Amino acid sequence: MSQSKFNPPSTRSWRDIPQQVKPRTMGREGRKRFFLAVGNLVGLVLLLGACGWGVYEVVSLWETDPRRITAPTKGVPIRDMTVRTDGVLDKDWVRRTLDLPKGTSLMEINLAELKGRLEAGRQVGKAVVERRFPDMLLVTLQERTPVARLMARSGDAEPQAFEVARDGTVYSGYGYDEVMLGSLPFIDGVRLVRDGSGFAPIEGMDVVADLLGTAQASAPALYRSFKVVSLARFALDRTLVVKSSEVEAITFGASQDSFYRQIARLDYILSEVPAQATSGQLKSINLAVGDRQVPVSFENAPVSPGSHRAPAAQSYGTGPSLGAALFQPPSRNSTSSSKRDF
Amino acid sequence: MISRTKFIGAVEIGTSKVSVLIGELSQGSLHIIGVGECQSRGVIKGAVADFRAASEAAHTALMAAEQNAGVRIDEVYLAQTGGHLDGFYNEASVNVSAADNLVSAPDIDTVCRLAKAKNLPEGRMVVHHLRRPFRLDGRSVPEPEHLVGQRLEVGYWTVHGQEGKIADNIHVIRGFNIRVAELILSSLASGAMLAGAEEKQNGVLVVDIGAGTTDYVLYRDGCAQVTGVVPVGGGHLTNDLSLGLRVTEGQAEKLKLRFGRGTVATKDRAEKVWLNGDFAIGDRQFPRHTIEQITAARTAEIFEVVRKKLGAAFSSEKTAAGLILTGGTAKLPGIDEAAARVFGVPARLGEAPGWVAENLRDPGFSSVLGLLHYGLSARAEMAPSRSRPRAPGWMRKLFATA
Repeated sequence: MSQSKFNPPSTRSWRDIPQQVKPRTMGREGRKRFFLAVGNLVGLVLLLGACGWGVYEVVSLWETDPRRITAPTKGVPIRDMTVRTDGVLDKDWVRRTLDLPKGTSLMEINLAELKGRLEAGRQVGKAVVERRFPDMLLVTLQERTPVARLMARSGDAEPQAFEVARDGTVYSGYGYDEVMLGSLPFIDGVRLVRDGSGFAPIEGMDVVADLLGTAQASAPALYRSFKVVSLARFALDRTLVVKSSEVEAITFGASQDSFYRQIARLDYILSEVPAQATSGQLKSINLAVGDRQVPVSFENAPVSPGSHRAPAAQSYGTGPSLGAALFQPPSRNSTSSSKRDF
Repeated sequence: MISRTKFIGAVEIGTSKVSVLIGELSQGSLHIIGVGECQSRGVIKGAVADFRAASEAAHTALMAAEQNAGVRIDEVYLAQTGGHLDGFYNEASVNVSAADNLVSAPDIDTVCRLAKAKNLPEGRMVVHHLRRPFRLDGRSVPEPEHLVGQRLEVGYWTVHGQEGKIADNIHVIRGFNIRVAELILSSLASGAMLAGAEEKQNGVLVVDIGAGTTDYVLYRDGCAQVTGVVPVGGGHLTNDLSLGLRVTEGQAEKLKLRFGRGTVATKDRAEKVWLNGDFAIGDRQFPRHTIEQITAARTAEIFEVVRKKLGAAFSSEKTAAGLILTGGTAKLPGIDEAAARVFGVPARLGEAPGWVAENLRDPGFSSVLGLLHYGLSARAEMAPSRSRPRAPGWMRKLFATA
């Protein structure tokens, strides 16, 4: 008998007996076990469904707005805030600027947004906002230092004083000492360009800061006399024109000589001019032409040089009311009695 | 590979009691961790007669076992007995298909299927197919594959039962919402537990005398040759005593347990025994000789029925290992002597292996213990054949013709 022709007769085994039993035919314990098993199955299905839904939600949230993912993990509300700064801003300013709602928890805040708020005022050069668990916010500020002031008007509003930092940033300062602010010279001769809610940085302010810093450090009296620094000619010949209380226009060259030497010459000239009876009121001093001679001009025609201290200045008149002279600063080993120490 | 602990329940729904054992199967080793017992109700001669009563009793025993083990049963190995069970032998033979007469797996499959392929009467279902050793050209071989021969023969002892009664038995367990994984003949379970491999090889008869039925299995050549169930058991001894002594069933049961014997040992016919022994009203005396006579007569009759049913399959010469008695009624004193007289072979009371706990060494537990043993062995044998990768048809054809 071949295998292919073999057809076994239908011999039914006990395994053919269906074991599916309806709950009503079960005993009490059997029903209990049955419903428990059904409950377990339903619970498992629900659990798997919930897991799947959760994964779907997280993935969709991640794709649309990942920042919201942190929202569900609420923590303890912020209890304290610590501010570290190298400038004048205080905790009140930080609190006002951040404007956090009461009861905000550490995990709810957006650090990047807070950093943006702090840096928006431009007085803050760099801000770092950190979470310190469980309930503290640490704010570290690196502030800009004003080197000059600027009067500007926004639309039809009244002109307003702004501070200008070394990097040219124009901002409205907060918390500065009024005396210190009053001593800062104004910036002139610049064209302000709008940049968002503020102004674009002013070019050449690093040179201005160098000049003013040198003056403040080596000749404080001269620095105090500086009223306006003009950048009008800076783009043309890299010269700065300072208007002081004594001289209407003092021209400094940014590329010719060091500011230290220029200020030394200026100081010499200012000390020499009153000593010469022939001199009138100084109108301009040009320190940008070199270190051998300094052209100066006067309101009134100077008297012929040589009557008193002729070697110091040679003048050449151009009119009755306006005079000009060339100062020759003394050599390094000169021992002039009128020389100031700086 | 993931290893999972499985809790298997072995359940025997007997005529007098329901026994449940819970085995913890973990990494191939089995530990018995729970026992449950309950007096049986609604079962007559091993068959469920009152579904509700039988279910309540079985579920009570299952719950007791689960509470005892502290776990929930995953699946059940269920013992099957009852007078409705019957068996027949059928054999088949095939010519070895290969040209070089090498026996192949398809040859074995074919002859096995042929031997099992015999139609059953309407309403009958197969419980077991018990294979006897293969014969290759007349010589007995345990595994014929790759041996050379021309004719391969095999025979099966097929145990079958009434579909309704088997289904009732299964539904009692399903009512507890547990799946029945294996249905095992009680006698096979007892035999697996009590008869050793050597005894099975030499020939041994295992007789499990319960309350309502007597199950037996005859082993020879290492295989179960014949099984059977006689719907007579220890309950009939009680009934005989009740009728003969005109006492209630309960009183008869007490007398059987205290004074019953498999053989008559009392010489003095005048010796009397008290029914209760408490000298209370209603307590009375009975001749001990009479009690022994009644129980011995019925015991001998049971063995004779078994011997008659075995017929030519049993011969004392081919049953060198003798006879093993088990079941609750096997505790009757002198029953081994009675069995030896009837069968003409040495008889002894079956003893559980040494690893079985003291509280489970009672003969009444041998069947339920054997369920776990037999069920796991059967599953282990089935596993390799199930997992054997089958070559594609074209490949088999290619190699068959090579």
